[in-house]
Order: sequence, then structure tokens, then C-alpha cells
Amino acid sequence: MYASTNAVEIRNLQKFYGQYHALRNINLSVKKGEKVVVCGPSGSGKSTMIRCINRLEEHNDGSINVLGTELSDDISNIDEIRREVGMVFQHFNLFPHMTVLENCTLAPMLVRKMPLAEAEALAMKFLEKVRIPHQADKFPGQLSGGQQQRVAIARALCMQPEVLLFDEPTSALDPEMIAEVLDVMTSLASEGMTMICVTHEMGFARKVADRVIFMDAGEVVEEGDPESFFTNPQNERTAAFLSQILSD
Amino acid sequence: MIMLRNQHTRKVVLQAVYVLVLLAILITGVFSAQANMAAQGLELSFSFLWKATGWDMTFSLLPTSSSDPYWWYLVSGVVNTLFLGIIGLAGATLVGGVVGFARISSNHGARLLGTVYVELFRNIPVIVQIFFWYALANHLPSPRRAIEFGGALISNRGIYMPGMNVEGLYIALFYFVLCAYFIGLIWFVSARRFRRVDPAKRRKVVWGLSICALAIETMLLYIGKPVGEVLITYPELKGLNVQGGYRIQTEVYTLAFAIAIYGGAYIGEIVRGGFNAVGRGQHEAARALGLSTWQEFSRIRLPLALRAMLPILTNQYVWLVKATTLGIVAGFSDFFMVIASSITHSGQTLEFIGILMGGFLVINFTISSVMNKINKAVALKGHQLRM
Repeated sequence: MYASTNAVEIRNLQKFYGQYHALRNINLSVKKGEKVVVCGPSGSGKSTMIRCINRLEEHNDGSINVLGTELSDDISNIDEIRREVGMVFQHFNLFPHMTVLENCTLAPMLVRKMPLAEAEALAMKFLEKVRIPHQADKFPGQLSGGQQQRVAIARALCMQPEVLLFDEPTSALDPEMIAEVLDVMTSLASEGMTMICVTHEMGFARKVADRVIFMDAGEVVEEGDPESFFTNPQNERTAAFLSQILSD
Repeated sequence: MIMLRNQHTRKVVLQAVYVLVLLAILITGVFSAQANMAAQGLELSFSFLWKATGWDMTFSLLPTSSSDPYWWYLVSGVVNTLFLGIIGLAGATLVGGVVGFARISSNHGARLLGTVYVELFRNIPVIVQIFFWYALANHLPSPRRAIEFGGALISNRGIYMPGMNVEGLYIALFYFVLCAYFIGLIWFVSARRFRRVDPAKRRKVVWGLSICALAIETMLLYIGKPVGEVLITYPELKGLNVQGGYRIQTEVYTLAFAIAIYGGAYIGEIVRGGFNAVGRGQHEAARALGLSTWQEFSRIRLPLALRAMLPILTNQYVWLVKATTLGIVAGFSDFFMVIASSITHSGQTLEFIGILMGGFLVINFTISSVMNKINKAVALKGHQLRM
């Protein structure tokens, strides 16, 4: 369908909040099947950047191309990109008035016009993948944080997206629940999903990422494969960040 | 005393003391009232309820005449209050919905209009507003020079609407069936227990319900219509007066209007609050999944906002029903006015006040029970909620 093998192509991206320059000239390409981990201190623009990819934030300048579709003000382009790009949020953002199963079947039925039975079969398949099928008829508020986040991953998967964005998926979780979510993410990665993941979980980055990107003050400061990124950071800001985050 | 240190024992003892004190006060009150009334030659009894009233009601949905007993007048008063209450609450909800949406609109002009509306009608006492609308209605032209508007005649003696030429009982049944149809439809479409019904079957049920309702309604109108006359009559000026159609009395529509306008300002704020209570996260999740604006509104925002509104809406409804008692300033024969007139004519103050309080207690308790039941049925489940 598209000639390029890049799933996401960001060129000279600029983002302002009023006077504040949130993203400065970001360039990033993510190949299909590639797993990219984005890290950096809070306020560095990591979340803003990945939120630009599915238009939860509007960029001011530069271009974003997702799977061959140019992200512009054109609503049909935005809708097309959102259909193919799934997102997992820090606070899960499940729909509290719907059961786990309904959370998962909603978008496939409304957006992809899938029949109920087919949508439910698909949802159960992904709920099994995130190891939570027995909770299908419960409501989000009846599950623990880790379980809710796994449901949120299943909900995103039910749209069968090409790209998955993770916005600090484990930051709101208790330590013992982080592992169960990271396990699911690791198994997704091994199945070839294209993933862009903002996280502070350096162990996960080391194990799963093809590439690690370090952002600070709205720009990409350093990028490289995990091995050299962690053992031999080139930039002093990266080194300072790593020594802080890895000391505890 | 060591016994009182047990928390269960202490609770039981405290409650027993509380109930005993309350009973003592109540019994003393009843006895002293009886003693005082006996000294004045009065008797605490409800036998007057079966005596004829000897005066006329200015407005009544049920047929009344001065030879009817007091209890029938009280029933008519309650029916009038319910009538005004239902129309007023429905109107207020409608106005409130529009105002609430204006207040959360992204359009500056709409937001400004909504704000002006809320501030204007919320800050003027409702009794003043009733006087204002009533005075305005009384300054409309006389029936002979009535304003014509879409088949209706608007005059200072009321609004004359084109009406169905059908007996009262059948009209009431007609509206009852209409309400039942809509409630049934909403229940079937939105209740979780019917969610898994096959779409083709769903359509069949909806069509079946609609056809049944239509058949029943047609039958009711046919039976209720006097033989050999037209179904719909239009108001016409004949001589000095208007004939045909419905006449909605000035008192009735000004009151319903005032309650709708006043309540609408409050309900508008409740609607706005409800929508603001829906988390930003849910909005973002819906957009990220590719839901359209309408899909997000109908499946996510509206259901969540309604849940946030329900408890406050109950409060507002109960308060608006009580506000119908202000109908007395426009001379509307509601429950309160019937009670007031009855007291003047019979002198049985205590009994009538008791009936008045009991009546409103029953009406408002019913509203809040129904609302609480709905609230409980749709409440979000679980304790780990993140909105």
C-alpha cells in the first residue's frame, strides 16, 4: 500500500504551548516492527511527542506521516491514522460504565462496523493474550490497576492497529503490578508489533527496545541501540539522567 | 459503666434514648394540641372530609362542583399539583438541557447567552418571576383581538389551542400509553440485559412495539371521539368569545412557564457540571480509538455525564415540585391552594396542615425513591475508579 517501510516518519516537528516551546525540531522515523523506547526527565516533551502522532496534540510545524498517511487538518486522514494507531495511557482511561468486554468491543463495532459476535470473539482472543479472560464481565472499577492496564492494552489491540503507542503505561501502578504489564508488553514486542513506548522502565528498554531515544527540554538529545545507550552514553545530559534513574 | 465502653452496646443505648425522647415530644404535642382545641370547642377528627365544600375550584382536571366533599377536592388538588409538576419539570429539563449545552459549547456567543440566562433567572426570586409572567400574560389582547399563531389564539383569557375532540379519560389514557411507549423503548434500547439480542431481532421488537402503540393510540382516539364529529377542532371567535379547541388558562401556562424557565437555569448548571465531571482521559481514549465526535458523545460522554447529574437532579426535581405551591400567587388551584381555602372554610387547620405535609411527603418521597432506584441501577461499579 505504501512504498516506505517506515511506520512513523516525523520531520522537523515543532510544538508550542503559547510562548513555551515544547518540542524543538524533532526528527524520528520508526520502521515497521521496530520497538522504540523514549525516555527523559519529566517535562522533556516525550508524552507530547507521542500524543502528536495520533493528534491528541496538534503540532504547529513540521510533518508527521503515519503508514503513508500525512497527518493534517483533514479529518478523514486523522480518523484513518487513529484507526491504525492504538494508544495505552498512563491512567488506563477505560470506560467505567462498560464491562471489560464492552470496552474491548466498542471501537471494533462502531469504527470497523464489526458484528457483535465477531467483535466479542476478537475481544476474548486479546483478553486471553493479556491473561485476563475470566474478568470479561467485570467493570473496570472492580479490577486492580495492573489488570485495568492489561484490559486497556487488549482494548487497543482489538482495533488491530499497526502501531501501538504507550504513554508511561506503568507509572501509575504499584511495583508488584508493573511486572504483569511489562510481561504483556514484552510478549507483544516479540510478536512483531511496532511499538513506541514512553517509559522509565530501563530494564524493559534494555530487554525489548531496538532503539532508545533520550529527550530533554523538547529535543532529542541522543539515540542509539540499548547496549551502547546504557553502557556508553555520548551526551552528558544522558549520562546524568541515567546515573539518576539507575542509582535506585 | 464499663458496659457502655462496648461500642455495640453504646450504639443501641444511644438509639433507644433518642427514640424515647422523640416519642415523648410527639405524645406531649398531640395531647397538648387536643387539650387546647377542646378548650376552644374544637375536635381533632377527620369526619369533615366527607362534608360538601360549598365553594368552587377555579381550575381542575377532574370534574368538581361545590357539592363535592372535601376529600375529592383534595384529590383534585393533588392531581393539579402533579399536572403542573410534570409539565414544569419536563419543561425545566428541556430548557436546562439547552442551557447546559450552550454553557459547555465551544462557541463564544452560545456560552455568553447561556451564562446570561443562568445568572438572570437564577438570581431573581421565583415568586417575582411568576408575578412577572402572570402580569405579562394578563396584558395580552382580549379574545376579540387575540393573536393568531399557527392555529392557536393567544389572549389574556388564556391560550386557545387546536385540540382533539376526545373525552378526557381517553385523552389521559392516550398520554399514558405514549409515555409508556417511550419509556419502554428507551429501556429496551439502552438496558444491558438486551444488549446481546441479535440486531435483526432488536429491530423487530422496536417495530413491533411501535406498531402496537400506534394501534392502541388510534383505537383510544376512535373510542373517545363523539360519534359523527371531527377529530380535531380549531379555536374560532364566535361573538365575544372563542369556541372550540383547548383553552389553557393563563394561570396554568404562566406557572408552568415560570417553573420551566426558573428550573431550567438550575438544571442548566447541573447539566454543565455533569459534562465537566467526565474525565479528560475518557475523551482521549475515545478519540484515540477512532470514535467520531457523535459516537464519543452518545456512548461515552452522555452516559457518564447523566450518572454524574442524577443525584443533584433528584434534589432539583423535589425542590421544583415544592415550588409549585407558589401557584397560589397566581390563583392556581393546586394542592396547597385547596388546603388553604379548605382551612378558611372549615377551620380545621391542624388536620389540613397535616394532610398537606403528608401529601408532599408522599409525592417527593416517590420522586426521590424512583430517582435513587435509577441512580443505583446505573451507578459505576467498583472502587478502583479513575475518571
